[in-house]
Amino acid sequence: MVMLYLLEKEFKQFFRDSGLPKMAIAFPVLMMLVFPFAVSMEIRNINLVVVDNNRTVASSNLIETCTASGYFDLVGVSDDPDWAMRQMDRNKADAILTIESDFDRSLERGEPLPVAIKVNTINGTKGSIGSGYLTSCVQRFYAEHAPARQSATTGAQLDVSPKYYFNTYLDYKMFMVPALIVIAITMLTGFFPALNIVSEKERGTIEQINVTPVNRGVFILCKLIPYWLVAFFVLTACLLIARWVFDYSCAGSIGLMYFFTAGNILVTAGMGLLISNYSDNAQQAMFVTWFFMMVFMLVSGIFTPIASMPGWAQAITYLNPMRYYADAMRGIYIKGSTLADVWTDAAGLLTIGTVMVSWAILSYKKTT
Amino acid sequence: MKTFFSFIKKEFRHIFRDRRTILIVLVMPVVQIILFGFAVSTEVHNARVDIVGDGNDPAVRQIVERIDQNPYLNVEAVYESVAKVPERFRRGEADVAVCFERNFDERLHHYGKASVRLLGDGSDPNTAQMIVNYVNGVLSDVQGELGAQSDSPQGAFPHVQYMYNPAVRSSYNFVPGVMGLILMLVCSMMTAISIVREKESGTMELLLVSPIRPIGVIISKAIPYLALSLVNLVTILLLARFVLGVPLRGSLLLLSVVSVLFILASLGIGLLISVISSTQKTALLISGMGLTMPTMIFSGIIFPCESMPVVLQYVSDIIPAKWYIIMVKKVMIEGVGFGYIYQEFTILLLMTLFLLAVSVRLFKRRL
Amino acid sequence: MNPNTDIIVVDELTKKFGDFTAVDHISFRVHRGEIFGFLGANGAGKTTAMKILCGLSRPSSGGGTVNGYDLNRDQEKIKRHIGYMSQKFSLYADLKVWENIRLFGGIYGLSGKRIREKSDAMLHYLNMTDLRDELVGDLPLGWKQKLAFSIALIHDPAIVFLDEPTGGVDPETRRLFWDLICEAAEGGTTIFVTTHYMDEAEYCDRVSIMVDGVIADLDTPAALKQRYGATDMDAVFRQLAYRAQRE
Repeated sequence: MVMLYLLEKEFKQFFRDSGLPKMAIAFPVLMMLVFPFAVSMEIRNINLVVVDNNRTVASSNLIETCTASGYFDLVGVSDDPDWAMRQMDRNKADAILTIESDFDRSLERGEPLPVAIKVNTINGTKGSIGSGYLTSCVQRFYAEHAPARQSATTGAQLDVSPKYYFNTYLDYKMFMVPALIVIAITMLTGFFPALNIVSEKERGTIEQINVTPVNRGVFILCKLIPYWLVAFFVLTACLLIARWVFDYSCAGSIGLMYFFTAGNILVTAGMGLLISNYSDNAQQAMFVTWFFMMVFMLVSGIFTPIASMPGWAQAITYLNPMRYYADAMRGIYIKGSTLADVWTDAAGLLTIGTVMVSWAILSYKKTT
Repeated sequence: MKTFFSFIKKEFRHIFRDRRTILIVLVMPVVQIILFGFAVSTEVHNARVDIVGDGNDPAVRQIVERIDQNPYLNVEAVYESVAKVPERFRRGEADVAVCFERNFDERLHHYGKASVRLLGDGSDPNTAQMIVNYVNGVLSDVQGELGAQSDSPQGAFPHVQYMYNPAVRSSYNFVPGVMGLILMLVCSMMTAISIVREKESGTMELLLVSPIRPIGVIISKAIPYLALSLVNLVTILLLARFVLGVPLRGSLLLLSVVSVLFILASLGIGLLISVISSTQKTALLISGMGLTMPTMIFSGIIFPCESMPVVLQYVSDIIPAKWYIIMVKKVMIEGVGFGYIYQEFTILLLMTLFLLAVSVRLFKRRL
Repeated sequence: MNPNTDIIVVDELTKKFGDFTAVDHISFRVHRGEIFGFLGANGAGKTTAMKILCGLSRPSSGGGTVNGYDLNRDQEKIKRHIGYMSQKFSLYADLKVWENIRLFGGIYGLSGKRIREKSDAMLHYLNMTDLRDELVGDLPLGWKQKLAFSIALIHDPAIVFLDEPTGGVDPETRRLFWDLICEAAEGGTTIFVTTHYMDEAEYCDRVSIMVDGVIADLDTPAALKQRYGATDMDAVFRQLAYRAQRE
């Protein structure tokens, strides 16, 4: 009964706030309409500089093959390797293809091609994928232009063909859409509750509540419930945008996505309330929340695979609620995973969530 | 001048009284740099490979052994039915499945041709591609051994040289990025909040009726945060160099100059936020959420700006952190001199001047 | 003593924060139905003592009862029978007048019908019927405090604690506010009030004066004035507070 009054208060305060409802709408829309285009790791437009010491039809055919692949932007062709290196130092070139002077003769004789590649690997993914593209261009060129051989008779041949499940064309947006939903929901439902109790503390209203006989568990719970609705609203909006704008649909059960979102709110809102319980002012609450959000996000497997982390970091990720949430949401959305497939995620998320909420309730002291 | 210094002292006292915030601000970057430097990486190790086909087939066994010997690949399971693959992917138990056709050995040796299908889990496109490339590499080695003269001889493999980061370590890319992110957030968030707090509590008016000019108030607010940020910068650089082993090839002086410029730009942003927001909460949300996400996404920390659509590349151009990160990478890792970064430097300088000018102006007008 | 006549019984109550003893072994009683003034300079320990009586803070040692409930064990039971209004105005500024009334009525378990009756009567009594749809944050301070006081009484508590209720308002509004307090006291509610306006002490039935965490004296205003040979409470207070060691 008391709960209804408290809920009414939380909702009124939420909608009366000048920023919160707007932010709850604008943030997911921005996340879904702008960011999917930006978060592409498809490596394209690699700036290529060619050092051509050969200057024959054969070498220009090779350059042609590379530019025709669509992955490269030809910045310039020169015979000066120092100039090419300077381009790379200036960030004008990502890759340098060096063609030596005996290129055409080697090609005719079927000898190893005197071709070298330099790539900038400060961004390792970009560098290694770029060099992979360039290598395969050279190979394709060789296959088309080298003198024909009787390969079939000289040895056995492996016929290798790759195929990708769930996301046949390796569309990176598809990979990121569920992850962006995860980020939007986690940030909104992490930051708002963190500010909630702390602002009651700063204004002094919390003291007025503390002298009433209201049960602290009920009080905290009533603070959580509005964020559930915010999260469901955001999830629905994101799914609809993904549907209309990108024509993606969820491969698995949408109900299951809501289930995991509900679990995630236990964690984020619980954590937000917990942090604000322990903070003296909004600034502290915000810094700590921001710190955890960043850590959660960057070691959740959303941007870089967990499998790539060293063992100790992988062990830490088991404490990261976002790991479970992101893994489950991606699995359900892209692969159509069922609860049987992702039950470990559910267990992890709910365990952390229960701990967070109980801790939030216990650490909220009406009498000090 | 005397009043000015007493103002700065007052700001320092404010900051140091709040021990917890100081602790958070100083310790947070350390934890983040260490965690991200070590943990955030896109290299794929220990990819899990499933083998679909007859495990007793001699040729299959030979290839499976080769795959398992590869340091990046681990064979997880061998089974017969391809139908099991999607389920294994859905449970996240395998990353790639290598499917051998029936009677593989016989086909390979009697008919000279046998097919292998690589099934990747496309839900993570880049990882899938990398893993499939690894397996492909193993298979072409096998191919090379099968027929001394085959279709793709050594000749088609150009010599590849990785520049600046020969070991392809992800920390080279992420450390400058995280540096930018942390400096930006700490500076702008703290400045914004400290000013809005005074606005909210009404003490700002008190300061403004004092003989000190508004610009003096702003500077005295900014200096302590500048100092804090410099401490952060030094810790981050020390950690990057000695703990993460990221090289510092260029001039330290140049790096410091660039960083101070960026810190000033961040202070400008913080000031701007403080002018447009009336409550601490708004300021916090704008700097905490509104600044974090765009900076992370558009500054090229994780996602290369080159692969964005042109419109968004323009958007990324207005993010100061992008230019800072480019310069840090160049100076720290490539070790180039000022001549190679003057363009980025000029852009960031203009941005900083613009931000400071606009915010100081608005600040005067609003109060 | 008959516990029925004493609503607050405090015995050797102490609160320490580290090395600092904010409240130092104080003992006193408050009779049912009286207006009890709890005076003291800033930092004398009166707010700390009051927080313990309201169940917001736990005593370091000593104890007592409020309305028969133990200060060390039954804080949540105490809270059911008290009203509280703090120096820091603490109704929800972003809720309307009627919404604040409804919220606190609901928290104390009043029925919806009872809340409606109460709030109509309260608004009528305060002459605030026209303001029921205003945000509380938009009201002038005096109105806010009258509202906060009435809301503190919404569940008909046995005793109401007022922590510097008239801070920052003009003398006329203060006088009106004390009319409300006196009327509530006539209705049988015990009033426990801290203030540093000495003229307000004259409204109290009995007054205690705290200095350096201990109660320096306790009696009716008339008796105190006579004892210290003063014409008003202000002079009494200055004589006692003069002995203070700490600021």
